[in-house]
Amino acid sequence: MEPVAQQIPLEHFLALSAILFSLGVYGVLTRRNAVLILMSVELMLNAASINMVAFAAYASPEKFTGMIFAVFIITIAAAEVGLALAIILRIFRNLGTANVDEVDELKW
Amino acid sequence: MSSELNLDYSLLTPEFCLAGLAALILALDLFVDDFRKSWLPYVAAAGLAAVLALSLGWVNKESDFAGLLSVDNYTTFFRVFFMATAAVVALVSAQFVQDKLRHPGEYYALLVLSTIGAIYMAASRELLTAYISLELLSFCLFVLVSYAKHERRSNEGGLKYMLLGAFASAILLYGISMIYGTSGSTFYADIAAAYAGDTSAFDLALLLGLVMVLAGLGFKVAAVPFHMWTPDAYEGAPLPITAYLSATSKVAGFALLLRLFSGAFMPVLDDWQWIVAALAAMTMVLGNLVALQQHNIKRLLAYSSIGQVGYMLMAIAALSAATSSALLLHMTGYVITNLAAFTCIIAWYNLTGRDEISGFRGMAERTPLLAAALTAALFSLSGMPLFAGFFTKFMLFQAVADEGFLWLTVIAVVMSFVSLYYYLLVIREIYVSKPEEGEERLPVPALISGLTVALTIGVFYVGIFPRHLLDVAEEATKLLFA
Repeated sequence: MEPVAQQIPLEHFLALSAILFSLGVYGVLTRRNAVLILMSVELMLNAASINMVAFAAYASPEKFTGMIFAVFIITIAAAEVGLALAIILRIFRNLGTANVDEVDELKW
Repeated sequence: MSSELNLDYSLLTPEFCLAGLAALILALDLFVDDFRKSWLPYVAAAGLAAVLALSLGWVNKESDFAGLLSVDNYTTFFRVFFMATAAVVALVSAQFVQDKLRHPGEYYALLVLSTIGAIYMAASRELLTAYISLELLSFCLFVLVSYAKHERRSNEGGLKYMLLGAFASAILLYGISMIYGTSGSTFYADIAAAYAGDTSAFDLALLLGLVMVLAGLGFKVAAVPFHMWTPDAYEGAPLPITAYLSATSKVAGFALLLRLFSGAFMPVLDDWQWIVAALAAMTMVLGNLVALQQHNIKRLLAYSSIGQVGYMLMAIAALSAATSSALLLHMTGYVITNLAAFTCIIAWYNLTGRDEISGFRGMAERTPLLAAALTAALFSLSGMPLFAGFFTKFMLFQAVADEGFLWLTVIAVVMSFVSLYYYLLVIREIYVSKPEEGEERLPVPALISGLTVALTIGVFYVGIFPRHLLDVAEEATKLLFA
């Protein structure tokens, strides 16, 4: 059977992931709400996962390194969200806001 | 990679023991009432010391676990290093945690668990393993930084550290995916083999990958321009965790950088060398200059530690056998010195509740021992002769200059002089400013006095007999360039 890899060129996957990654970076830099920043970071992580899977399918289809890497990225991202939400929740309880520009007690 | 995998789990015994120790601490905290709070730090420190002794059994042995983790002199060096650091931090935390924080069980358990992450960062020779170890360390630190959960500054420091940390790992991962895409492997040795030939077919992707990996790891070690989280996390974190951040998280980052760049990226040296050199120069200059205008001792030490990262990055830029052993020596000296300084600062904070630089007035009369030890540590950080800082910096700068980075060394020397100024500001408060009316001498707990004396002796020992440690560092790094 002809694998999908031959029907869609690698560049398409890379372009998709680059766009996702840029969107994520844009979100992190412009969003004020900590939860939305976190979601933007997740976009960036997904971009990395797409890269990993695409490279695994094209560059070394006989090994699964990239696929396994993607699974680990997803797992760690889930743990990260749990941790971050706990910290954000704590901030929200103490300060009544989750906007990063209003959390400004520490300055240089 | 060979088809026969070495799945000898006994190689990982020290880390299994550490995980067991963390579980034990949690269980003691939960079930044994007498143990609550007061005894946990000593259990943690004793356990760490025992595992440290156990890990000495791997000295001069060379093996690997499934090609993922090396157990060699380099790993053993960092096992000892990280466990000793964690043990000291546990002891220093004892009173602070009892007075200021709740849930001591989780605190010490996380401290022990983060050590595993740090050790595996030094041991891993495969990108996925390295990444997971890095996250293990980071996640523990995120929680520890925001541990004083009812205190706003701790919340804020934790939030900033967490968000920027996640951002940096995403960048690092994207970089890793580029490295994987261009080399077809995540094993350091295979990456080096893939890059050894002609790389012109994927030059741009390779450069992108290297830049992103450097940015991600630069964040973890707090190199300028990825340092923004450092002062806030340092100031917000509970004091012993600030000490821990400045020691383990930095050194673990460098342990990973050193093995990764010597193991995987050596063939494409020309692509990244100038980037690291530029990062090192920026880090030294900015860290030391901004430190000049700090009023809080934690922020001062945060910026001074950024400056120190600049010196350490020079060794990565001028990567060779000589610079890496000098780097290990410098990091050891730096961590001993920093722990000595923080032990005094924590004890002073426990006694007086002050962590502003002006709050150190009269320290010489109220706690002479702490004042003397803190002064010695600050002199060592600025690189005065006799103290550890002088010789380790000398070795490092000389090794870097030998590799043809004289201009970096010149910046480093100038910045060392700058750093002397802001350390002297603290020393002036300690010795010249008189205590206010009615402030008496303060009793320093025996444990803290003992620890302070031991660490100060360590500072002088490294400064006066550096040869012993340098020999060990050379043994540890020899195999990286075999």
